[in-house]
Amino acid sequence: MSVFVVTGAAGGIGSAVAHTVGGEGHTIVAVDLSPSLADRVVDLEADGVVVLPVQADLTTDEGLEAVVAAVRDAGPLQGLVNNAGITRDARLVNMTDQAFEAVLAVNLGAVYRLTTALEPLFSEGSAIVNVSSRAYLGNFGQFNYSMSKGGLVGLTRAMAVRLAPRTRVNAVAPGLIGTEMVLTIPQETLQKMVDNIPLARMGEPGEVADLVAYLLSDRSSYITGHVHVIGGGRSLT
Amino acid sequence: MACPGVAGRSYGDLMQIRLPDPVPEYARLLPSDPSAPAGLVFVAAPAVGDGWSAVQAELTEAFELTRSAVQEDTPVLYVVDNAALLGQTGPGNAMVATGLLSAARTAAVEGAKRGATCNVLAVGSDSDPGDVALWVDHLMSSTAVNGEVVRLGSGHLGKALP
Repeated sequence: MSVFVVTGAAGGIGSAVAHTVGGEGHTIVAVDLSPSLADRVVDLEADGVVVLPVQADLTTDEGLEAVVAAVRDAGPLQGLVNNAGITRDARLVNMTDQAFEAVLAVNLGAVYRLTTALEPLFSEGSAIVNVSSRAYLGNFGQFNYSMSKGGLVGLTRAMAVRLAPRTRVNAVAPGLIGTEMVLTIPQETLQKMVDNIPLARMGEPGEVADLVAYLLSDRSSYITGHVHVIGGGRSLT
Repeated sequence: MACPGVAGRSYGDLMQIRLPDPVPEYARLLPSDPSAPAGLVFVAAPAVGDGWSAVQAELTEAFELTRSAVQEDTPVLYVVDNAALLGQTGPGNAMVATGLLSAARTAAVEGAKRGATCNVLAVGSDSDPGDVALWVDHLMSSTAVNGEVVRLGSGHLGKALP
């Protein structure tokens, strides 16, 4: 049975990825800092998914070591989904050092350090998917987030070259997805955002999960080093 | 004001040129215009290496200097290595270059209504220093281009672009 690591597994997209990939019969090493990971694990197990939960802070050496140890015990590593991320939005003129540093550390630093820590464990034909964001194209009030998600694009390209041909590396860039975090946005603001989307709706976490699962699978065996925007056409208008 | 700890210089007490140490050959003529306007030119280190702390330091410095520049509504230009932007020189250099590109796009969005620009100049390691200086002067003095990347040389031709 192949092993896939999913970070940010307690969140909307991460949980959906764990369900989709785990539903294909793979073992999921589910990683999250939040205690709510335990609830997600219960849901996954109820659906018959084999889950190894790791509650860890990926910005620390201890957190990274905990994930590596779990993977070593679980079996051959077939995939990694770097999904964990945070936002600390503000206009650049008002952005604090703390807001910048926190977002960069979680969204880019932890991804890079986890990927390199797991690098020796990847199996032949394995795959990595980095969850970037449509914000890598630029987004008001998100200098820190945009920089971190843009950095993931470069990381994806460079690692795709470095890890080929054994491991493929791709990125997805979701737009407005109906996660718990997004649904806290005031309804009026949310509607204005939806009005700018040609497909006239938010995306569902499951739709992102389907793309991630495709990029992890042999069905995408000749695709590496690319960013796949999933945003309902938002970047076209 | 030059940034502590790095090679850098002010120009006419207005334009700030942040240079890495060592200074890349292509940046040795910056700036060439004695009447250079206020603003920030951030020349990224072309070989920051693959350690996270070096990447973090480079991006953090860019953030701090950019925030100061946009608080004054002055233009910002990031000068990056084209091969790094394409992901051809390792993950550390790639994260810096593409991180700066995305940051520039966001700073451009935020500054657009005030006429403050933020752009990226991607240069090849063999780019002529005179050409680099010319494009720096142009991108810093014009408000016609915003949130864009201008690539010098031919290293990007036929490539998937970030």
